[in-house]
Amino acid sequence: MQDWKLRPARDLGLSPADRLRSLSREQGLVGLALNAAWRRGVRAYLSAAHSFRVTGRENLPAEPPYVLVANHASHLDALALAAALRGPAARRAHAMAAGDFFFANPAVSALAAYAINALPVWRGRSRRADLDTMRQRLAEDHLVYILFPEGTRSRTGAMAAFQPGLGMLVAGTEIPVVPCWLDGAREAWPAQSATPRPFRPLALNIGPPLRFSGTANDRAGWQSVAAAAEAAVRALDPSSLRPQQGR
Amino acid sequence: MIPHPEGGAFAHPVTTGIIIATLAVLGVSGLAILWLSKSGRAKPEFRRELWLRWGSWCVLLPLMLGPVLLGREWTIGAVTVLSLFCYREYARATGLFRERVLSAMVVLGILAVNFAALDHWYGFFVALWPLMACLLGVATIPLDRPAGYIQRTALAMLAFMLFGAGLAHLGYMANDPGYRPLVLLLLTAVALNDVAAFTSGKLIGGPKLLPATSPNKTVSGSLGAVIVTTTLVAFVGAAIFRGTPLGNPVWLVAMGALVSVAGQMGDLLLSSIKRDLGIKDMGTVLPGHGGVLDRFNSLLLVAPAVFHLVGYFVGFGLSAPTRVITGH
Repeated sequence: MQDWKLRPARDLGLSPADRLRSLSREQGLVGLALNAAWRRGVRAYLSAAHSFRVTGRENLPAEPPYVLVANHASHLDALALAAALRGPAARRAHAMAAGDFFFANPAVSALAAYAINALPVWRGRSRRADLDTMRQRLAEDHLVYILFPEGTRSRTGAMAAFQPGLGMLVAGTEIPVVPCWLDGAREAWPAQSATPRPFRPLALNIGPPLRFSGTANDRAGWQSVAAAAEAAVRALDPSSLRPQQGR
Repeated sequence: MIPHPEGGAFAHPVTTGIIIATLAVLGVSGLAILWLSKSGRAKPEFRRELWLRWGSWCVLLPLMLGPVLLGREWTIGAVTVLSLFCYREYARATGLFRERVLSAMVVLGILAVNFAALDHWYGFFVALWPLMACLLGVATIPLDRPAGYIQRTALAMLAFMLFGAGLAHLGYMANDPGYRPLVLLLLTAVALNDVAAFTSGKLIGGPKLLPATSPNKTVSGSLGAVIVTTTLVAFVGAAIFRGTPLGNPVWLVAMGALVSVAGQMGDLLLSSIKRDLGIKDMGTVLPGHGGVLDRFNSLLLVAPAVFHLVGYFVGFGLSAPTRVITGH
């Protein structure tokens, strides 16, 4: 027999607007249903309009928690990564989204929260307490985080250096970081365009997971996590290492 | 059948009386708060709190009383919405919402029992108690996750009994053509019950009722509420049930005491849940009140208790058409 505890929702007592923007937001039945419907819609759109292909799905850990990291060129990126997941991982996937854009007002927040299950990251002013909350929830609630450690969408298609925030989530834990490479997202929905451009192919390649249980949970450790993850993502770029990429 | 005169929503004088009295109380309390604000006798935070509560009532009362006046379908629809809101708060407070299969079953049960009320199908309405117990008992077995089985199943059963089967009795009453005065009386009497307990507790003071469960309740407040509510329900009940077996002073007083005691028990039931969880309010939907459950806790036990008391003496909708949706 295990100890069993009553655990109120982490976001209990927050007003509806605050709840949408809270890192402690936990979905109920309504959220699950809306999120599932949205995910199915996105999946259908991506395969119809962008002939979306996923390779390396066997590299995904069997069960959450884990963190998906990828190159970032388009608003399609988070949608595509979420659409590639199945089962409990798909239900527990949270995309880290820029708070100043996706949580700017209640209407956009509601869409971000209910449809794409986004959690806000406040560029330039993310507090240590926020990252601690995210680190704690990742492990305790068995979540999947979808994270773009470059911090912003690439305007050129070239991948920028990874920020150390990723390291603060996983350094010193057994939680795997799964590197992913998204090909074609910049053409399918460039940062300069207001809407996606259909009929441009989109492909996702999922690489083998990395673990950082031996890495110290300090500044140097976070930097090394970011560097290792960045290298792993770059290694999946078909244009960088064509001969070694068997698939 | 509850005796009722021919005519529209306001045909029964008790219906009109309760609506007018409610509006009057709302108006007078608004003026009183206004006077309190102008005279500067109250602290700003306290004034804000009073206005918040009063404003919430102004939104809440039309939502509560409106559907009862509009008709049977509206009443049952409003009770369904209330049940779902109550369940949502309970599920989020207890953590049951993380059990999505079980949670979906409870929602399904709430919809089914309110459908049975809407259909005026008493057999199905009462059958859902044991049927839902069976369903909730087996729902999570296929997950092959026995850890926490007893706790999650018990939480779900309690939820269905309180917010599904229990509360649905309030909607089922609307199958009787003479439901309006009774339902309005119950809605207003449980609110009065709270106010009477608070007021007499403050005026008289004295020993605490159950300090570990609810530190602000006193024995004097509880008894005061029983006296006030019993009196009101007995007198108004006499006008509603005149000429029926329930229209005798002994049973009317019993009904009044039942409303008061079951109302206070519902309140204490929710207090026990909150104390056990270590939270103050169940939600934030109603400014000044907390959650929907903090406001409607008193109805949870009153609805089935009064339903079966009235059902024993008078019956509900005995000559109204049954199984109006599913047919025979």
